[in-house]
Amino acid sequence: MLSFVIRRLAVAIPTLLILVVLSFILMYAAPGGPFNSERPLPPEVLANIEAKYGLDQPFWRQIVNYVVSVVTQFDFGPSFQYKDRSVNDVIAQGFPVTLTYGFWSFVVAVTVGVSLGVAAAIKQNSWIDYFAVGVSIGAQVLPNFVMAPILLLIFTLWLGWLPGGGWNGGQWQFLIMPVIALSTSYMASIARITRSSMLEVLNTNFIRTAIAKGLPMRRVIWRHAMKPTILPVLSYLGPAFVGMITGSVIIDVFFSTGGIGQFFVNSAFNRDYSVIMGITILVGTLTILFNLVVDILYAWIDPKIRY
Amino acid sequence: MTFRSRLLITTSVVLIATSGMLSANTHPVTGETLAADQSFTYRVGDESPSIDPGLVEDTDGADVVRDLFEGLYNQDATGNLVPGVALSHDVSDDGLIYTFNLRENAKWSNGDPVTAGDFVYAWQRAASPELASPYSWYIDLMSIENSGAVIAGDMEPSELGVTAIDDLTLEVRLSQPLPYFPQMLTHGTTFPVHQATVEEHGSNWVLPANMVSNGAYVLTEFVPQERLVRTRNPLYWDNENTIIETVTKLVITDENVALTRYLAGELDRTDVPAGQFPRLSAEFPDQAVSVPEACSYYYMFNLRDGAPEELQNPDVRKALSLAVDRDIIVENVLAAGQKAAYTFTHWAVAGFETPDIPMASMTQEERNAMAQELLAGAGYGPDNPLSIDLVYNTDDGHRAVAIAISQMWKQTLGVDTLLSNQEWQTFLDARQNGDFDVARGGWCADYNEASTFLDLMQSQSGYNDSKYNNPEVDALLAEARTSDNPQANYDRVEEFIAQDTPIIPIYHYAADDMFAENLEGWPYENFEQQWYSKDLYKVAE
Repeated sequence: MLSFVIRRLAVAIPTLLILVVLSFILMYAAPGGPFNSERPLPPEVLANIEAKYGLDQPFWRQIVNYVVSVVTQFDFGPSFQYKDRSVNDVIAQGFPVTLTYGFWSFVVAVTVGVSLGVAAAIKQNSWIDYFAVGVSIGAQVLPNFVMAPILLLIFTLWLGWLPGGGWNGGQWQFLIMPVIALSTSYMASIARITRSSMLEVLNTNFIRTAIAKGLPMRRVIWRHAMKPTILPVLSYLGPAFVGMITGSVIIDVFFSTGGIGQFFVNSAFNRDYSVIMGITILVGTLTILFNLVVDILYAWIDPKIRY
Repeated sequence: MTFRSRLLITTSVVLIATSGMLSANTHPVTGETLAADQSFTYRVGDESPSIDPGLVEDTDGADVVRDLFEGLYNQDATGNLVPGVALSHDVSDDGLIYTFNLRENAKWSNGDPVTAGDFVYAWQRAASPELASPYSWYIDLMSIENSGAVIAGDMEPSELGVTAIDDLTLEVRLSQPLPYFPQMLTHGTTFPVHQATVEEHGSNWVLPANMVSNGAYVLTEFVPQERLVRTRNPLYWDNENTIIETVTKLVITDENVALTRYLAGELDRTDVPAGQFPRLSAEFPDQAVSVPEACSYYYMFNLRDGAPEELQNPDVRKALSLAVDRDIIVENVLAAGQKAAYTFTHWAVAGFETPDIPMASMTQEERNAMAQELLAGAGYGPDNPLSIDLVYNTDDGHRAVAIAISQMWKQTLGVDTLLSNQEWQTFLDARQNGDFDVARGGWCADYNEASTFLDLMQSQSGYNDSKYNNPEVDALLAEARTSDNPQANYDRVEEFIAQDTPIIPIYHYAADDMFAENLEGWPYENFEQQWYSKDLYKVAE
C-alpha cells in the first residue's frame, strides 16, 4: 500500500508539470493579453508594465521562471488584473469561501443522496421508491443556474428570510442558499447511483444467504450490503468533492460569495495569466490528491482490492 | 488655563455637540428630516482592478477613490469645479504655469496635514515606470512638462513639471496651454497619496489596516469580489456636513440578481437590466432614473489598405449610415432614454453645441431615398448586391442592435450582412489589427470636453481603429487643442465625419439606475456621473 501511494505521488509530479506547460501554452495562444484594452496603452506605458510583470522575457523563460518560483517559494506571482494583490492573496481569500460552502454541500449531498438511494432500493416499487426517484430526477433536471434564481425569488424577495447574497465572513444565513443550490444535482446523482448499486447487491448470493440464515434486515443492509454498495458511489465522490470545494461559477455569480469559481472565470476573460495558472494548479493538485484518497478508501473498504 | 479660555472651550464644546445633534435630524441646508439609518449600499458588476489612486483605471474604482481621497478640486452636482484640497489657483499669462493654493485644514486620516509635497509625490509616482500604472498616460494627457520622458524612463520622476513651493502652494508647469486643465483634476490619478504609508507597506498599503487617506471616508473593510465598506472620516475638513455614515459597495455580477436584491431592500442603488427600463419606470416611476451617460455607440469601417474594396468608397459608407433608422434603435430596440446620434460627440458634453448635420434634419424616407441613390451610383444594386461582415463583442444588447441594423440595410439597400460576435479580448484583437469590415465601437469621455471624443478621428490616435486619415481633420483638431473657442473646429470635424463616414454614429448612451426612494443628493445633472457619498443623504419616510 505504501509503495502504491509513493508511486502515485511520483506520477503526480510530471502530471502537474504537463498541466502547467499545456495551460501556459493554451493561455498564450488565446488572442489578446492581460493589458489589452479598448484604449490601447501607449507603447512606453505598455513596455513599463510588461517589464514589471516579466512579460518582456522570451516565452520559455517565462515558463521556467514561473515553475521555479512556484516550486521553490510557493509564490504564484502578482495578479495582472488586480494590481493591489498577488495570486496567493486571491486564493487565500477565495478558496476558504468555496471550501466552506463546498464542504457543507458535500455533506448534504452525501447524507441525503445515500439515504434516498438506500431507502428507494430497500422498498423497491413502493411509494418511498417513487418519491425518492421523483425527487432525484427533479433535482437533476433543475440545474443550479435555474435553482439559484428560484431560491432567491422565494427566500429573499417573497419571504424575506435570507439575504440575497454576499458572504459576510460565512455566517449561516449566507450559506443556506448556496449549499442548497450546489448540492441538489450532486445529491440526485448520488441517490441514483446508490439505488441501482444497492439493488444489484441485494440480488447477490451472499445477501440471499444472510437473509436465509435469519439475520435481521437492518443488519443485512448495514453490515453486509452497504460496503459493496458504496464502492461505485465512492468513485463518483472523489471528483465530485473536488468539483464542490473548488467552487461553482454559477454559485459565485448568483450569490456573490467572493469564491474562487468567479475569480477563475474572470481571470480567463481578463487574460489574467497568473491567476488562471494559480487556480489551475490548485484544482489540478486537489483532483490528483482526491483520486488517490478514493483509491486508498477502495482498498480499505473492499479487501478484494490489492495494490 | 484662564476662566475665559475655559468658558470658551466649554461653550464651543456645547455648541458643537448640539449642532451635531441637530444635523443628525434635519438636513443643514434643505431642512428635510433625515432618516435614522444613514448607510448607502450600491451594486457594481465586477471588482475593480485597483483602488490605489495612482493605478485606478475603471469608473467603479474611481467612485471608491473619490470617497477615500480628495484631489485639488471636486465636482458639484452639475459638474462645476468646487474647492477640494485646493482653494483656488492662478494661471500665468502664457497659460503654462498653474499655481494652486491649498487649504490649511486638510488632514490625512492619521492626523498629518495634507501638503503640496503629497501631490508632487503622488504625480511623480503615477508617472514613474516603477509603478507602471496603466493610467500613467493620463499624466501625459494633462500635458505636464516632461511627462512623456518620465513615463518612457528617459528622465527621473523628480523632473516632472510639478513642484511644492511650500506646504500650501503647488506649482504645475505645462508643456502647452490646456484650457481644460483644471477640469482634469477631479480624476483619481491626480489625487494625493501618503508617502510614508506607501513606502512602508508597498502594494499592501491599500489594505484597510494600512491605508491612510484624506477623503470624506476611510476604508474599513475590503473583501475583493464581495464587498468594500467605507465609513466617514472624522478628520475630514468638511466632516460636519457629511451625512452618510457608511458606504458599502457590493459586487453582484448578475444584474437581475442585483435587481431582486434591490427590490428586497438590500440595495439603495443598482443598474436597470437591459431591456427592463420601460417596465421598471412604469412600475417604479420614482425609482427608475435615466440620465445621459458620456458615451457614444457607433459602427466603424475598416479603412486600411487591404480592407474590402467596396467600403473604401465614401458613398457606400454614407449610404449605409443613412439607412440606419436611429429612432427605431433608441425607441424600440433600447427604449431606455438613449438619444439618436448623428454626431460622434455626445450631445450633452459641456460647451458643445451639436452642429447642423444635414442628415439629422431629414426624414427617414428622405434618408433612405438618398442612400439608395448613393449605393446605386457606386454600382451596387439587385444585380450586384453588396455583402459585408459585421462583428460585435458578445452581448445581448449589441446583438439586438446588430440584428436591427442588418435588417434595415437589407430592406432599404438589399445589403447582405453576416453577423458575428466575438469574446471581448478576441474582439479587441481583431479590431486593433484591422481584421474586420464593420465593427461595433463604444467610446466614453475621459473628461467633459468634445476633444475626448473627436481626438479618435486623428490619424495618429492609438484609438482610431478605422484608421481614418484626413489631414484637414488632423489640422483642425491640433488647432482646437490650444484654442480658447474650439467649437468652430469641432463643427467642421463633425461635418467631415458625416461626409466621409469613417464611422456611423448610432446613439448616445443613457445610464439607467434604480435609486431608493429616500436617497437624496444624487448628482443626476452631473454628466460624468462623478458622485460623492459625502453629498448624499437619506430622508425619513
